[in-house]
Amino acid sequence: MEKNNQMSRTALREEKKYFREHKTVMKLSGSDIIFSILNYTFFALFTLSCLFPFYYIFINTISDPELVTKGAITLIPRQLTIDNYINMGKVDDLWTSVFITSLRTVIGTSLMVFTSALAGYLVTKNEMWNKKFWYRFLVITMYFNTGLIPWYLNMAMLGITDSFASYIIPAIVAPYNIILVKTYIESIPSEIEESAYIDGASYWMIFRKIIWPLSKPILATIAIFGAVGHWNSLQDSLILNQNSPELYTLQHRLYIYLNQSSNLGALVSSGTSGADSASIAGIINTKIIQYTISMVTIIPILCVYPFMQRYFEKGLMLGAVKG
Amino acid sequence: MAKQNNTVSSSGTVAVPVKNYKTPKSASERISDKIYWFFRCIIVLNVVVIFLPQLNPARLSEMINKNLSLFSCGVSYSSVIANCGRALRMGWVSEDNFRMLSLFSAFIVLGAVLAAAGGCMSLGNNKLKKRGLLFTAAGGALELGSLFGLYQVYLQFKQSQRPERVLPMLPDTYLLFIILGGALLLLSVLNFILVPKGKKGDVISIEPKFQLFLMMLPVIALAFVFSYLPLYGWRYAFFDYKSGETLSMDKFIGFKWFTSLFQNNATKKDIIRVMQNTLAMSGLGILTSWIPLAFAVFLSEIKNMRFRRFVQTFTTIPNFISWVLVYAIAIAIFSTDGFINTFINSLGGSSDTNYLMSSSHVWLKMLAWGTWKGVGWSAIIYIAAISGIDQNLYEAATVDGAGRFQKMRYITIPDLIPTYCVLLLMSIANILSNGMEQYLVFSNAMNMSDIQVLDLYVYNLGIENGLIPLSTVIGMVKSIISVILLFSANGISKLVRGESIV
Repeated sequence: MEKNNQMSRTALREEKKYFREHKTVMKLSGSDIIFSILNYTFFALFTLSCLFPFYYIFINTISDPELVTKGAITLIPRQLTIDNYINMGKVDDLWTSVFITSLRTVIGTSLMVFTSALAGYLVTKNEMWNKKFWYRFLVITMYFNTGLIPWYLNMAMLGITDSFASYIIPAIVAPYNIILVKTYIESIPSEIEESAYIDGASYWMIFRKIIWPLSKPILATIAIFGAVGHWNSLQDSLILNQNSPELYTLQHRLYIYLNQSSNLGALVSSGTSGADSASIAGIINTKIIQYTISMVTIIPILCVYPFMQRYFEKGLMLGAVKG
Repeated sequence: MAKQNNTVSSSGTVAVPVKNYKTPKSASERISDKIYWFFRCIIVLNVVVIFLPQLNPARLSEMINKNLSLFSCGVSYSSVIANCGRALRMGWVSEDNFRMLSLFSAFIVLGAVLAAAGGCMSLGNNKLKKRGLLFTAAGGALELGSLFGLYQVYLQFKQSQRPERVLPMLPDTYLLFIILGGALLLLSVLNFILVPKGKKGDVISIEPKFQLFLMMLPVIALAFVFSYLPLYGWRYAFFDYKSGETLSMDKFIGFKWFTSLFQNNATKKDIIRVMQNTLAMSGLGILTSWIPLAFAVFLSEIKNMRFRRFVQTFTTIPNFISWVLVYAIAIAIFSTDGFINTFINSLGGSSDTNYLMSSSHVWLKMLAWGTWKGVGWSAIIYIAAISGIDQNLYEAATVDGAGRFQKMRYITIPDLIPTYCVLLLMSIANILSNGMEQYLVFSNAMNMSDIQVLDLYVYNLGIENGLIPLSTVIGMVKSIISVILLFSANGISKLVRGESIV
């Protein structure tokens, strides 16, 4: 007994010793240290490259315009001021764009989410008349694109160019999101639905009272992605509404400002409508106009970003599971 | 227990308690069923035609814009009289005529809507069918009446003070609408006779399969209008068309635009250049498609969870900003008075290079921007996959003496390869579609010849220069090649992995 105990104690000690040595060996491995340092440095630098531009633009918008013009602001803001934002506030074009973009984001996203939820629910029902065919009918549109010009001609034919409807109606049906919702709903236990049938609920009732509340996580995911898409959209404003400046989205407005100054050198001397209102507002420096509008465009994204984050993986992983 | 399981169909959805609808049908009912399919086709056709500008029966005067559909005529009066300001001011024609025209158009649209509602109701039981027939009959009658009204407006136009300026006309499609409206009315009456009267106490009901279909119908209609109807625009590829004109058969030129792609030297040169850019940029993208995978693998080597989380959070931000904003950032950093030059100057150097305006290394620069924007986001899917790998594998490998790189090589990467293959195949299938926005925002006079990819070329040609047919041809060829590539990629995937990717 005594001997046994002694033996096990020795074994334990040896084992501990082995692990201690092993650990020290791991710690001291030169190549490992170098690898870690390189790895950490690389990721730190890359993250910095993703963050610094925003920081740089931001400090330029809150510093004294004179210093910005001289190029004195590189790493830290100096002589803080919010005049730039106040001045930009006087530019009507900008506010129209902010309004239009916000409106389309809210309306477009709501309609898209509702439609995706309903359609996603309906395509899980095998009883539907020719369900397979209609499901394929929707999914094919994801892979087959008729091209830019036919798309444009179609919108012109339907008469929704140069109207606010061109932002909303074409984006209501989003096949990819329908597939995401469908995949999610299929994971909900069917017993819940079944019991509702037995209680005599209609399809609409089941959708409203059971499917909608239960699939909220995925609906939140597609809502966020849809909203970002609406906020960032340039193409429809650029192509469909080129003759209606009052309908330009924020991205389109920013694009115009960026181009004006990079092509013409000075926005003020260009004499376009945007330049007029900007010069009326007393902003002389094109750089500051660009920076400030960029900040206005980016702030909403950065604001919703923390909320978006937890939905990333969910959305992506479901996306990998194809319909 | 077994019986209960039977109520759940094989795919896991719930079987609905369906009433037995298989009561024997009378001969008249069977005939009416056949007629109904024809009838529903007419109803759908009747809805579609009101949206087509070429088929507008309300274009009673050549002053009315030829790109207006019947629907727009009915909905917006201002667009009807858009070109008629002078005629109205000079008193050539009374404004009331245009008001009537717009009103009758609206009535025809209303008739089509009523008929469509009736068409939906025709999917129900006999009682609902009968009600639906009332709707379709009303719709048809309304259409015929309004068409008669439009004829009266046409006569008014003819009797206006200056017919040679008002140019009244009765479009050929007027007859089509009369046929459609008449068919609606006639078939409604016919079906009303054939459909047997429901028993007393019958309630309105629709079979579940049609209930579900009707709920789905708006989605299907929208998908049709915005994803399938554009195919109708492909016809421009076969016509000699300039923007603003109407298409007519005498401008039909067959495949001339297709052959001109290869015969016209200037176009040929352009296309070759554009294809070089497209394939080069897609090719570079495919060659560097392993970067997100490597990013994920190396990120998972970082043991400090906080730092890892931090990196993951902030490297995904660029994915959520638009290309316009990326360009704004590019200007802020790389332009003449951007960060780089300011920074060099503040250190005592003197530099005023505008990195954005040069035409050197455009392909690599675009690749770099694309990677910067996308790598953090693309890596997420791999990171999620890595976190799903069984940790025991790593422990076992450690016990067997595997080092860091060996574990990567033999455990992590093999686990990610299937995902990588799917994404790689997809990017090969999308080799011709680089998207337009990135190249549009970064393009300028200096780098245009190197940056113009197929999508941007189509945009410049069609939208900026108004060469609709040629750009349609290019888009068409691109679409067809893309579909072929996609199916090939899918076929390869099926062959190799036994799984399809679409």
